[in-house]
Amino acid sequence: MVNILLKIEGISKRFGGLVAVNQVSLAVKEGEIFGLIGPNGAGKTTFFNMLTGIYKPNEGTIVFEQQQVQGVKPFRIAKLGISRTFQNIRLLKDESVLENVMVGMFGKTHTGLWSAILGLGSAKKEEELVKEESRKILELVGLAGLEDELAGSLSYGNQRRVEIARALVSKPKLLLLDEPTAGMNADETNEIGELIRKIRKNGTTVILIEHNVGWVMGLCDRIAVFDHGEKIADDEPEKIIANPAVIEAYIGKEDTEEVNKFAAN
Amino acid sequence: MLAQQLINGLAIGFVYILVSVGLTMVYGVLKLLHFAHGVIYMVGAFSAMLGMIYFHLPFPLALLLAMAVSAVIGMGIERFAYRPLRGGHPITTLISGVGVAILLENFFQVIFTSDTLSFPETGIENTIYHLTQSVSITNYKFYIVIAGVIGLGLLYAFLKFTKMGIAIQAVAQDMRAASLMGVNVNRVVSVTFMIGSALAAAAGVLVALNYNSLFPSMGSIPGLKAFCVVVLGGLGSIGGTVVGGLILGLVETMSDGYLSGMVIDKDAIAFVILIVILLIKPSGLFGKKVEKV
Amino acid sequence: MVLEALFNPYYVDIVVFLIIYILLGLGLNLITGYAGQVSLGHAAFFGIGAYSSAILSVKADLNPWLAITLAIVITFVISAILGLPSLRVREDFLAITTLGMGLIIQSFFKNSSITGGAYGIDSIPTPSLFGMKLENMSYLIFLLIVMLIGIYAVRRMTQSRIGRAWMVIREDDIVAQSMGINTTYYKVLVFAIGGAYAGAAGALFAHKVSFISSDSFGFAVSATLLSMVVIGGLGSIRGTLFGVSVLYLLPEFFRLFQFTFIDMNYLDMYKMMIYGLLMVLMMRYRPNGIFGKKGAKKVMTKRLHKKKAVKGGEHIA
Repeated sequence: MVNILLKIEGISKRFGGLVAVNQVSLAVKEGEIFGLIGPNGAGKTTFFNMLTGIYKPNEGTIVFEQQQVQGVKPFRIAKLGISRTFQNIRLLKDESVLENVMVGMFGKTHTGLWSAILGLGSAKKEEELVKEESRKILELVGLAGLEDELAGSLSYGNQRRVEIARALVSKPKLLLLDEPTAGMNADETNEIGELIRKIRKNGTTVILIEHNVGWVMGLCDRIAVFDHGEKIADDEPEKIIANPAVIEAYIGKEDTEEVNKFAAN
Repeated sequence: MLAQQLINGLAIGFVYILVSVGLTMVYGVLKLLHFAHGVIYMVGAFSAMLGMIYFHLPFPLALLLAMAVSAVIGMGIERFAYRPLRGGHPITTLISGVGVAILLENFFQVIFTSDTLSFPETGIENTIYHLTQSVSITNYKFYIVIAGVIGLGLLYAFLKFTKMGIAIQAVAQDMRAASLMGVNVNRVVSVTFMIGSALAAAAGVLVALNYNSLFPSMGSIPGLKAFCVVVLGGLGSIGGTVVGGLILGLVETMSDGYLSGMVIDKDAIAFVILIVILLIKPSGLFGKKVEKV
Repeated sequence: MVLEALFNPYYVDIVVFLIIYILLGLGLNLITGYAGQVSLGHAAFFGIGAYSSAILSVKADLNPWLAITLAIVITFVISAILGLPSLRVREDFLAITTLGMGLIIQSFFKNSSITGGAYGIDSIPTPSLFGMKLENMSYLIFLLIVMLIGIYAVRRMTQSRIGRAWMVIREDDIVAQSMGINTTYYKVLVFAIGGAYAGAAGALFAHKVSFISSDSFGFAVSATLLSMVVIGGLGSIRGTLFGVSVLYLLPEFFRLFQFTFIDMNYLDMYKMMIYGLLMVLMMRYRPNGIFGKKGAKKVMTKRLHKKKAVKGGEHIA
C-alpha cells in the first residue's frame, strides 16, 4: 500500500464574486507523477498557489504528511518540503545561474546573523555545501557549465531548467511544476519528461500543470482535469481519454487542436 | 468657535484639494507618485509675484500667468524626468522626482534667497466679512473656496465632455488598451500634468496672497500633505480627493483649537493620518479594494 | 608642516563628519540597496541614536560609552518597529510612509520635553578612554575603527545567506517566500540593522558636536543620504563609500578654497542643486549608480560570459 502524501478536501478560493477554485478534493500518492490539465482560467495555478500558501483557501483542508497546511505561510510550507516553479519564469535575471539555484537551499540552511558577521567556520562550511548541492542539481537538470551565466541571458528552455533546479535543490518531498514545457520545442519537451522521471526516481513526488495533453498522457500516472474551477475528472490517463465529461469540456471549448491531440492518443 | 473653525478648515481644505487633484490625476494615469508637485505650487506663487512686479499685471492676470508658467514647467518635468523612465521600477521615477524637487527648490533659493518675501500689492484689500457676531471670513479665504469650486467644476466638465478628458479617463483605466484604441498616451499624460500643475499653481498664488508671504520651500509641506490627501481619498479618485482634502483641512483646524500642547506639530497630523490609512486600509476611504499598495 | 595640517581641527572635523555620513550611508544601503526597501526617513534613525545617547549621558548621567551602546540598541529596536510598514506597503508608498515617519519623529524631537524641545540638548560629554578624552585626532581614529568594523560587517552579512535572503526579497517577494525565506523577519531585520548603523552614527555625532537640536535630522539629511547612496550605486559598498565621499567632500572642497566665483553663503544651495540634478541624470542614464549592478565591471564580464555560453550550449546538446 502506497502512502498518501497529499490529501486535499473540498478547497475553494473566491476572489470577490469570482470562484476560481470550487470544492476540489484530490489525493496524491507518494512517488506519483500527477498531472493537472484543463483550459486556461480553469483554476490550476490558483490551486498551486493554495498548496504553496500564497493564497489561503476560503474553505477546505490540505493535509501534507498528516499535517494540515491550509493557510500556513509560504515559507513554512517550503520548509515542510513542498517546492514549486512558476508559470511565468521568476528567476533573478541579473544574478548568476548558480546564485539562483543557491536561493532554493535557503530553507535548509541555518547560519544566523552573528556567525555570518563573525565569519565562523560553520557559516563557510554551510555556504560551500550549498554551492556543492547546487552544482550537483545543475548537472542533473543538464545545465553543467552554465553556472556563471546570468540567468536572464539563458534561452527560455534553460531558464525553465534553472527554475526546476532551484525548486529541486532543497530535496523537496513534493515538487509542483507550473507548465514546465511552455514555449519549448518537441525535443526539449521530451528532455523535460526524462528529467521529471529521473526526479521521481530520486524519491520526489511531482504534480505538474500542462497544456500539452498528449505529453502529459504519456508521462503521468494519474491526471486530474479542471474546468471552470471544478475538478471534473481524476483518473489514470487511459480512463481520462474515455471520460465523456472531459471530452465535452474540451470540445465545448471548441479547441479543435486539443481535440485532435486527444484523438491522436 | 466651531463654526469659525469649520469655515477656516473649509478654506484650507480647498487649498489641499487644488494641490492634490493634480497628484491624483497623475497617479491615476501613470500610477506614479509625483514628488515634484509641491515645487510647482511654489513656482506658481513666484510667477504671480514676478508677473505683478515686472509686468505690472493685475492680480487675476498674474494668477493666469502663474498657472500657465506652472503648467509648462509641470509638462517639462514629466517630459525630462519621468517619461524617459516610464516602464522602469517605480523607485527610479520617485528618486528622479525627489531630485527635481531638490533642484528647483534650491534654484529658487539661489535666486530669491531662502527668506520669506511678501506678496506684492494687489489693490485688493484684505477685508473681513462678519457672517454672525462670532463667525467671519476674509475675502482672500473666500477667493480660495471660489477658485476651488470653479477649478473643480471646469475639471469635471473637461473630463466628462471633451474628447481629451475622456481620453484621460480611458488611459487611467487601462493605458495599454487606450493606446491600442488609438489614444495618444504621451499627449494625455502631458495634458494631465498641465492641468494638475495649473491647479496647484492657483493654490500656491492664493495661499501666498492669503498669508502675504512666499518662500522657495513653501511647496514642500503642502506637496507632501497632498500625498496624504490622495491616499485618504483612495488613490486616483478625484471625488475621494475632494473629500480627503476637506477632511484634512478640517482636522488640522480643529486640532489647532482643541489640542494645544501636543508632542507633534500640526503639520505632522497629515502624516499620522497617511501612515494609519496605509497600514489599516491601503485602498483609502473611498478607493476600490487593492491587495497591496 | 604636514603634521600640522594633519592635526588641523578643521580637517579632522571634516573627516569625522564624513565617517559619520559613511555609517549612515552603509545603513541606508542595506535597507534600500540590498533589501530594496526604500527609506526617505533615514535621518529619523540618525536622530533617535543622537537623542538617545544625549539623553542617557546628560539627563541620566550615564558613562558616554554605555550611553552610545544603549543608543545603538534602542535604535535597533525602534527601527525594527518603524520597519513594520514595509510588510504592508509597496516600494514607492513605503518611501512616502518612511518620509512621513521621519517628519513625525523630527516633529517629536522639536516639541517633546524629553528631547529639550526647540532648545535641543547641550553639554553632551566627550567619551574618554584610559583617562584620555577622545577629541579631534583620537576621536577620528576611534571612528575610523568603527567604520572599518561597520564595512566588514556589511560585507559579511551581504555575502552570507542573510544577504541572499535580502537580495531575493528585493527582486521578487513571492519567490522569496516560496523558497522558504521568512520575508517578515528579514525585512524587519534589515530595518533594525540599517537603523542601528544610523543610531551609531547619531550617537557618535552627538558626542562629537556636544549640542544637538531637531534641525540636524530633517528631510534634507534623508534626501541627501539617499542621493549619495543612489549615485554611488545601490547594493554596493564601494558605491556607498564613493557616493558619500565625493558628494560630501565636493562642497567642503569649494568651501576650503573660497573660490571667488561662488558666493559662499549659497554653497549649501548649490550643493543641493547638484545633488538634485545628479539624481535626475543618474536615474535616466545610469539607474544602477556608479558602482551598482550592470556597472562597468559587470558589463565586461557579461561579454566574456557570452562566449562561454556557446560552449555551454554545445555541452547540453
